[in-house]
Amino acid sequence: MIQIHNVHMSYKNDAAALNGVTLSVRKGDFAFLTGVSGAGKSTLLRLIYAALQPSRGQILIDGQNLSRMSRREIPYLRRGIGVVFQDFKLLPNRTVLENVAITLEVLGWSKKDIGKKVYHVLKQMGLEHKIDSTPLRLSGGEQQRVALARALVNDPKILLADEPTGNLDEENKEQILSIFREANIRGTTVLVASHDRRLIESCHKRIVVLDKGRIVEDSDVPK
Amino acid sequence: MSRNNNSNKRSRLTKDHFTGRMRYFFARAMANIRQNVFIHVVSAGTIALSLLIFSLFLLVYVNLEGAAENWSKKVQVTLYFDQELNQSELMSLKSRIMAIAGTDTLTYISKDEAVQRFRGRLKGQEALLTGVSAEILPASLEIGLKRGSRNSESIEAYVATLKGVPGVTEVQYGEEWVRKFNTFLNFARLVGALLGAFLLIAVIFIVSNTIKLTVYSRKDEIELLSLVGATRMFIKAPFLIEGTLQGLVGSAGALLTLGVLYLAFLNNGGNFLSFDPAQAGLTFLPPSFVGGIFLGGVLVGFLGSLTSLKRFINV
Repeated sequence: MIQIHNVHMSYKNDAAALNGVTLSVRKGDFAFLTGVSGAGKSTLLRLIYAALQPSRGQILIDGQNLSRMSRREIPYLRRGIGVVFQDFKLLPNRTVLENVAITLEVLGWSKKDIGKKVYHVLKQMGLEHKIDSTPLRLSGGEQQRVALARALVNDPKILLADEPTGNLDEENKEQILSIFREANIRGTTVLVASHDRRLIESCHKRIVVLDKGRIVEDSDVPK
Repeated sequence: MSRNNNSNKRSRLTKDHFTGRMRYFFARAMANIRQNVFIHVVSAGTIALSLLIFSLFLLVYVNLEGAAENWSKKVQVTLYFDQELNQSELMSLKSRIMAIAGTDTLTYISKDEAVQRFRGRLKGQEALLTGVSAEILPASLEIGLKRGSRNSESIEAYVATLKGVPGVTEVQYGEEWVRKFNTFLNFARLVGALLGAFLLIAVIFIVSNTIKLTVYSRKDEIELLSLVGATRMFIKAPFLIEGTLQGLVGSAGALLTLGVLYLAFLNNGGNFLSFDPAQAGLTFLPPSFVGGIFLGGVLVGFLGSLTSLKRFINV
């Protein structure tokens, strides 16, 4: 599903963020990217959803080479990738329903279908009673679940998460992880960047460790 | 896998799909205005205020230009005759003069009319006119000139042609007054054009930056839309509609306020001025100017949004 071949990435006037990264994530895999701050986790995720172009190397998503993709094709690639962030990136002046509906509006769904689907997803997340609230009235855990609902509402092929539990307490972390697991069971390939080693190890999933832009460890944790 | 992410290829827009999308963009723009009402009101208000200042300048300019046009009508060439002309002589002379390019009006003043006019000007001092008869004053033909022929060079050329007409002997046109008047007029027009250009640049700068700020305040929304796979068109369309509406409301507000101020000035200006504005022949902006300001506001709103969006959309 995700194939990364010898990818290098440098920002202007900065040391290399990624240095010859090669990684393959199969369809339906669940993997954690970990490492200290600045190891290159976020950069790798941004390369996968084409927010950045690698300085060198190739990235293939579901067989499509991103470097051969025109700028006009990128939105269509992103429709198959759900992304969540540590800071949730919710629109404060829109309701929970409107925040989640954005993904389906982009796809051209009808208002009626959007309403049904969003309600269904929010119910799965235990947030159906908050459908008309604005994000500022929600707790951190609830906000992250809304962000997850937005990322998962169109059943994407890939789910990317950048430090999704960074701002959450233990109870909410577990809740978010169980949503990842459920999405993975339904067939979504999940790649989570986190430096929370304890959380990662409790999941018993594949762990890829980055250090100074290189993969220094890539192993499936024994079940 | 969802029905929507089976293909990453672009689908062709059918007519129904296109209409549906346009309806969505308008609905989205309206919802955005409701959700960001303060920023939209501030933006439309800034556009209205900027355009009002520019429109006020134009209104003053148009009326000064009108006044200058009236003054310039006083630029006329006068032919004097020792003897009264008979009807056939006058008709023949008039037709020859009318044939000269730049001639607008011809008014024959007989000796009797000249005396009457003289008396009219000396009303209250009739004693001075004792012994003055029609024989003293000459008959004359006053030639009004067309607008483009009222400057010094054109008048000189006109008079030279006029002097070639048989029967024309004495020609006067107040060379010094015409020269000074034209110098003043040209200077005033230059100052007006410079001020207008500066104001126009300032208005465009203020309006486009105000719109830029409204777009900037929603950069998170643009980023998010691009993250969930929105195309450039999908992101831009509601913003462009909002910018256009801001320009539309702003320019309509400016013109409406200008109209109210104009009427208020006409009706109440006499209370604090030494003349009555209602009787002074002041005019509102001509329809072409009103249309230009309105369309200009709409266009600046649209283009302001378009250029601001370029900075924030990276797909």
